[in-house]
Amino acid sequence: MRREIPLAITFLVGMFMLVDFFVPHHAVSSAAAEMKQWGTIVIAASILLGVGNLIRVHYKKISRKQEGWGYSIVTMSVMAIMLFFGGPWGTIQEGSAFNWMFLNVQVPLQSTMFSLLAFFIASAAYRAFRLRSVESSMLLISAIIVMLGRVPLGQLLTRGLPEQATLPWLTEMIMAYPNMAAFRGILMGAALGVMAMGLRVILGIERSYLGGDK
Amino acid sequence: MNQVRRILLVSLALAAAAVGSVRAQETAPQDGIESAALDIVPPGPPCALTVRDYLEHSDSGDKIEIEWGLSPDDGSGAGDVTGYVLSRSLAEGEVGDVLEEIASGATHYVDVSVEPGVEYYYSLEAYDGTNSSERVWAGPVAGRVNLFQWSRLSVLVLMLLFFAMVTWFTAAAGKGAKLFVRRIPGLNAIEEAVGRATEMGRPVLYVPGIGEIDNIMTIASLNILSHVAKITARYDTPLIVPTARAVVMSAAEEVVKQAYAEVGNPDAYNPDNIRYLSDAQFAFAGAVNGIMLREKPAANLYMGAFWAESLLLAETGFEAGAIQVAGTAMVSQLPFFVTACDFTLMGEELYAASAYLSREPKLLGGLKGSDWMKVVSIVLMVAGIVAHIVGLEWFVAWFQTQ
Amino acid sequence: MAAIIWTTIGAVLTLSVYSFLYKDNPFYKFAEHLVVGISAGYYLVIYYFNFIQPNVVSPVFQLRLGGEAIGLGSNTWWLALIPGLLGLLLYTRFFPKIGWVGRWPLGIYVGGYAGLGLSPIMQARVLDQIGANALPLTSVTNILVVGGLLGTLTYFFFSMKHKGVLGVMARVGIVFLMVGFGASFGYTVMSRVSLLIGRVSFLLHDCLHLI
Repeated sequence: MRREIPLAITFLVGMFMLVDFFVPHHAVSSAAAEMKQWGTIVIAASILLGVGNLIRVHYKKISRKQEGWGYSIVTMSVMAIMLFFGGPWGTIQEGSAFNWMFLNVQVPLQSTMFSLLAFFIASAAYRAFRLRSVESSMLLISAIIVMLGRVPLGQLLTRGLPEQATLPWLTEMIMAYPNMAAFRGILMGAALGVMAMGLRVILGIERSYLGGDK
Repeated sequence: MNQVRRILLVSLALAAAAVGSVRAQETAPQDGIESAALDIVPPGPPCALTVRDYLEHSDSGDKIEIEWGLSPDDGSGAGDVTGYVLSRSLAEGEVGDVLEEIASGATHYVDVSVEPGVEYYYSLEAYDGTNSSERVWAGPVAGRVNLFQWSRLSVLVLMLLFFAMVTWFTAAAGKGAKLFVRRIPGLNAIEEAVGRATEMGRPVLYVPGIGEIDNIMTIASLNILSHVAKITARYDTPLIVPTARAVVMSAAEEVVKQAYAEVGNPDAYNPDNIRYLSDAQFAFAGAVNGIMLREKPAANLYMGAFWAESLLLAETGFEAGAIQVAGTAMVSQLPFFVTACDFTLMGEELYAASAYLSREPKLLGGLKGSDWMKVVSIVLMVAGIVAHIVGLEWFVAWFQTQ
Repeated sequence: MAAIIWTTIGAVLTLSVYSFLYKDNPFYKFAEHLVVGISAGYYLVIYYFNFIQPNVVSPVFQLRLGGEAIGLGSNTWWLALIPGLLGLLLYTRFFPKIGWVGRWPLGIYVGGYAGLGLSPIMQARVLDQIGANALPLTSVTNILVVGGLLGTLTYFFFSMKHKGVLGVMARVGIVFLMVGFGASFGYTVMSRVSLLIGRVSFLLHDCLHLI
């Protein structure tokens, strides 16, 4: 029973959502939309599970004075501050302290972390220079062509050559043909993989996400 | 005599009219009322108004298609029709509400705001800026609810074929048929990486991506996690699983706990190593980077759905000297994993890996099914190419769905 | 005055993150723990106010804003109980005896989205691609696209040995994959550099007023 009920639910809901794509009847589509709404609510409700885990891990660190426990205090206290500002007594509107913390601390920190990628993409490119196999040299050559073809330097380098030998032209060709063919191939293959797996989920053959068979 | 008088009168009238019209033209810009008052001839009505349930795209009964012929004064005749006014009502002979004012020259309109099953009457009049034509009527008509979206028939056909193949091979595998699966290079690398971490006495880091649990990549990843957890459980190697989604965290807890129990080493399971870090993409990436540098895992496995954080993780892991194996079907992130990791499971290999590792015949059956679907796709594509050559364009058009 | 303080804090945090490029250090650790804490509090509050409150709490408790029922509306208030209950079921995992009930919401969620995804994927990623690649083989570029796709697909055959013709095609597939990866790598470089330029201009322009 413990195993069958969730599998039966998965099957029924999965099949219903599958049918929704083919049946234009509004009764079906509105029921499907309602269920999608439920899904987002379940996910929203789960956040407390995650935050609970976060609190537990950091609380243990602090109480056992493990290495770096001071930083755990930082995490716990800013979280408490955010909850205080945004709690039922607070407000999350524009201009509120809650929103302000988000805009002035979280957003810049996140975008700075994102911008670290500029350095990391450079070091990864450098690494690619030292790759050995035939395949990886193909990767390197096309990366260099496209990288240069998209900046003014690339145009400068091949100025005066016939059009078919200029970097911007080559870039356009690589993006439009081999690149597209490869990506279509990956997408198609991956799509079949997803569908086979999705079908197994609906049929209850795949159930690792439910935490095993017990 | 009478004839002469008549001719004189007519020419006088014509002259007066000419002068009048010249005056009207001169004054028109200044005084719209005078010129409007002059046009007292309504345009001819539009002809042949027809209404019907909109069928082309198999709608949900909320659309009605309306067609008519141009008014004789639209584009020809007096040529002064500026538009048409379409009205809709629930009772015959009633004008009802104006639905839309449609520009001249149009002969087609789709009403997308009907209640399915309700009967409507439509009326249309041409309009020249001053006068409206006679109304033309049509109806009653009702939007019929369709039970099948016919434009998606091709999707259904291929879907049924695919399902049939997957279930066929799954059943065959269940009965003991031997299914060959080629070696997937990245897979051995996973075991080697975990082995090396064990030798070095350092933890294994397993990142199941930042996709939600409904993402099939995440589900594939949880399958692979179960396999990895069994190895670490056997060797008592710590396994750290940072997650960006609370539900994925709780599923990962179950998967790892179960794996440790199955191997017979449930006490080695450390719940504090399955961690929720943050829903925020780069806060998550920053925190995982911190784990890499402080807890020094010797093997980093990235399996699942990744976005821009992929390279942040993989480069930091490389700098930290860990063996790295990645697996994702996110096309945009594959180039970064390929350059920064020792092995990468590309696209479908991620799904195949999860079936391969379990070695469960039922899962391998699905793999065989999707291989045959590839064959079908290739055959259809070649058939499409041939169809182009021999001019059977409808065959290619069959694939264009809505 | 307040603005100057906050811009300075912003600049210090930005530099703290960049200090990671040199090596792990207390500034980075601080920034990292800060953003984790803030985002945890942020998402907890946002998920509640954006999803739980309007769709569960308000309809069930008949809260009204300006006379209008919000969320699902008053007619179907009991429908809002279902997702609320499903959300609560997730927490049964802390009670071993009834923990298995916690799988129900997961079953609905995962099953629902699996079903929802299947047909659009078949449509957009298989059928449309077949249509798009059924090209008349009259130009070099068309041959390149069709050949590349066939090769790549062959590489992803798992249940057959890559030998003979299949082996050659899979090899062609790998070449196309690598060229494609390289191209997309090169294509992304500039967009990543522009992210950096954005942050540097924050430091130099907004904080130091140098440019």
